[in-house]
Amino acid sequence: MTGYLLRRLGQMGLTLFLIITLTFFLVQAQPGDYASFYVLNPDLPPDVKEKIRAAFGLDKPVWQQYLIHLKNIFTGNFGVSFGHFPRPVLDVLAERVPRTLVLFLTATTASFYLGFFLGKAIAWRRGGLFEYTATISGATLFTAFTPAFALMMIWIFAFRLGWFPVGKFLDPIVWRGTEVSANYVFGNMLLSAAAFIVFAFVVMLLLSRFRRSLPSLVAVPILLAGVLLALLFWSLSGMGTLALDILRHMVLPVATLTLISFAGTMLLTRNSMLETIREDYVMAARAKGLPEKQVRDRHAARNALLPVITSLVYSLIFAIDGSVIIEGVFSWPGTGLTLLSAVRSEDLPLVMGAMLFIGILSLLAHAIVDVLYVYLDPRIRYQ
Amino acid sequence: MITGPVLKVDDLSLTYQIRQGEVRAVQDVSFELARGQSLGLVGESGCGKSSVANCLMGLLPDNARVTRGQVILEGHDLLQLNEEELRKYRWRRIAMVFQAAMNVLDPVYRVGQQIVEAIEAHGFDLSDAEARERVADLFRRVGLEPQLMDRYPHEFSGGMRQRAVIAMALSCDPSVIIADEPTTALDVIIQDRILRELKSIQNDRDMAVIYITHDIAVVAEVTDLVAVMYAGRLVELGPTAEVLGSPLHPYTSGLMSSFPSVSGEKRPLTVLSGEPPNLVNPPSGCPFHPRCESATEQCRSEFPPRALRNDHWAACWHPLDKTNSTAG
Amino acid sequence: MSTPEPASAPELMLDYGRGRARFALAKLRLAARSFRTGWGIFMESKVGMLALFIIIVFALMALSHPILMATVWDRETYDPVTGYAFDQVEQPAPPSLKHPLGTDPLGRDVLSQLLYSTRSEFVLGITAAVVTVGIATVVGAIAAYFGGILDSFFMRLADLIIALPAISLLIVLSALFNLNLFYLALIIGLLGGFGGTAIILKSQALTIRVKPFIEAARVAGGGHFHIIFVHIVPHLLPLSLLYMMFTVTSAIFAEAVLSFLGLLDLRMSWGIMIHTANTGGYLLGGTRYWWLIVPAGASITFLCSAFYLAGRALDEVVNPRLRRRDD
Repeated sequence: MTGYLLRRLGQMGLTLFLIITLTFFLVQAQPGDYASFYVLNPDLPPDVKEKIRAAFGLDKPVWQQYLIHLKNIFTGNFGVSFGHFPRPVLDVLAERVPRTLVLFLTATTASFYLGFFLGKAIAWRRGGLFEYTATISGATLFTAFTPAFALMMIWIFAFRLGWFPVGKFLDPIVWRGTEVSANYVFGNMLLSAAAFIVFAFVVMLLLSRFRRSLPSLVAVPILLAGVLLALLFWSLSGMGTLALDILRHMVLPVATLTLISFAGTMLLTRNSMLETIREDYVMAARAKGLPEKQVRDRHAARNALLPVITSLVYSLIFAIDGSVIIEGVFSWPGTGLTLLSAVRSEDLPLVMGAMLFIGILSLLAHAIVDVLYVYLDPRIRYQ
Repeated sequence: MITGPVLKVDDLSLTYQIRQGEVRAVQDVSFELARGQSLGLVGESGCGKSSVANCLMGLLPDNARVTRGQVILEGHDLLQLNEEELRKYRWRRIAMVFQAAMNVLDPVYRVGQQIVEAIEAHGFDLSDAEARERVADLFRRVGLEPQLMDRYPHEFSGGMRQRAVIAMALSCDPSVIIADEPTTALDVIIQDRILRELKSIQNDRDMAVIYITHDIAVVAEVTDLVAVMYAGRLVELGPTAEVLGSPLHPYTSGLMSSFPSVSGEKRPLTVLSGEPPNLVNPPSGCPFHPRCESATEQCRSEFPPRALRNDHWAACWHPLDKTNSTAG
Repeated sequence: MSTPEPASAPELMLDYGRGRARFALAKLRLAARSFRTGWGIFMESKVGMLALFIIIVFALMALSHPILMATVWDRETYDPVTGYAFDQVEQPAPPSLKHPLGTDPLGRDVLSQLLYSTRSEFVLGITAAVVTVGIATVVGAIAAYFGGILDSFFMRLADLIIALPAISLLIVLSALFNLNLFYLALIIGLLGGFGGTAIILKSQALTIRVKPFIEAARVAGGGHFHIIFVHIVPHLLPLSLLYMMFTVTSAIFAEAVLSFLGLLDLRMSWGIMIHTANTGGYLLGGTRYWWLIVPAGASITFLCSAFYLAGRALDEVVNPRLRRRDD
């Protein structure tokens, strides 16, 4: 198993290297170069232009530039953003990346759960209104034109109903006069979410040790107590309203991304379930007199999960693209929006940095899927 | 002390609804089984033996319908139970040994876990240690090392898997076990060993066992009674030694001669010509008549009555051996 | 000498030719029959027929634009890019008899833009699909036939491409190059052809490679390329057709997204129509300016899903495993 994971890790390292190389040569291949942003400025005298070109290392041969580029990237030097001058690219990204990660992770987790849950339900009870509605609405959302759908969501929930803000990360009116920065609050929100996930994980792990005597009746109150504790902490910290403001801004983008991506998982789960339902072990589980729910969840759905996980990579990549579009429409200041505005203002260093990050994100998605698969399929785990 | 049969199947008939029409898969099947007794249900594939087994387990597919009859297990009619009662009955009272070639062990769970799961579903509240002890007992009983319970199915060989499946069937101490082709796809030595072990477990626990098989050799080795099925009907039923010694029905004799002799004497193997009939549109009269050498006009028009000899009967107009009496 | 009289060479050639012709005819007949059965299965799928109907409607729309421009519509008013509806006082104008779908904020006729764009969507989608499937079929067949290094190279390349989010990559490329319709189709085609589609066609080609007739062709002295192109590639065509459908969907979708974000160098497209309305701030006016977003948005959604659903229906023809079993 470790061999398998190591091999996959090696492949990913190689892929990352290839992405870096590819982006470098794409920049080389484009008309003009990195410095054209400055060089095209007619106010600059020629000798200054030459100096700028030299400062970018553009007077050196291509292979040297490439080596410098590699060295810079591996030492974390992504250059300085033109658009956010004089902030380094890494600094801009460090602020934006967590916001994208939160949007992306929340939405993909939600859409995976929703898709898997619905898919297994419609495969188990075939026919009927429920299957029809779920399939049709899922397929419609899946193929709908994402920006148009996102705009529709904004129009309904932000304009007509006024439940949520139109877009952006926070409401300046709420934040007027506060001393803490949005990044600080957001960082703390991430920390408490991570702490809660770890806490829940540990609780579930401990409980599963005495599974037979301690049913889920015990788990729910403990987890609820954890949630209450976190809420108490936030309301006492004085940043509660600020955190709530960020959360309110998150709801629509997350919901939209969830809605456009759950159908893929749902249709896949349904097809996979229809195959596992015919398997002998499902029939055997029923013969053993297991309750229907247990046959469905522990045997049919658990095995149907495996092919779904394999194709999860595609859904995750789809969701990465989706989050770029959605950040654009909702003006959610994450990596996707950064990429878009950098492309529009020809801020090449930031474009490259953002693309590299998106590449890393998709590789991470690959890695997570691989680990998950190994964990879920004992036939690979014990080899 | 319970007297009388532990399992009584009475006039059981069931049909499947398919696009081409109604398949009469099982018709008027009746037999009884006492504690400790074993019955071999034999016939070619598609003759309805698996439908009988699935009906006994309450595992019929949605398009199946029992049109007539009763299945009385320990005094309760299984066909009258609702879904939840039936679920509790399954495995607790009547369990099944599936064939190892099938994929009945779920590949993602440890083998021991799958057995514990069955025990827990039937209201035995066990601690972790008790559950492990119970599985260890079962494993020892079927000749598996107890520490194998933490392995996954793909780490088992075919023979080990078959033993695990037997252990699973024994886990709730049922009074009837249905063994569906229990040794198909195993090599002959393991086949023999597993059959013998199954037999000794049966004697220990005083269980009734139904062997479903097309292999006459298996029947000859382990069963007390034989029931021969053809086209959804029982055509011959009697003590194993008698039926195999001098079959009454031409189909039984045909089935036997297509296998090498059990007792070792050499004779030419013959193969039954033709195929089992289409059950959507079965032949009139005796369903075997299109393949029977001694078929007459009567065979074509009317289903034959039972030809009796001692406690052994066959549904045939022209039984192979002379009989002492005939009953309708 | 008792050897039989050898047939004269021309006679033999004739015979050979006749045989070949007969063989080709038989093959054609077989292909026609399998097409008819496939068509029968496709027709059974209501969704597939609906999708086909939608595609045909759009194709007719694409054809109608040049005809309308040549007959009813004058260039000054109705040109999708440079026209201006002088007859309207206020732009954007709501639907009227002269402008059935109203005008856009720049006074251009929306229906004309819609019809004009349809043609470019078809050109884009079909070009991208042909490029994708052309590359993928050849790459898949070669990788499956030769195996070894060639196979691992193409498959690793495909893994790499799959790992890249396509829309994000296209956004980056649009920053570096001026993407027009043709380049966009080419890039999408290359990404698909060397990416996921190649993997799928390769696994299909693998199942064909082990068939006895390949061995027979090799024993009969067929060269590598003869075997690949005459014996393997034709068997990949049904699956290729299927993936063409899916490529059309993703190409149209990608174009619409990039145009919506204002990153493409096109004259007019559905995405640009929405982009124009959005930058003018008309989208959040809700239903008031519906003709600025609904026709274009619905067209993108309908044409994308029509190709997607036609693909799903075709999938049932190509993969018997997916057909509904009667149980």
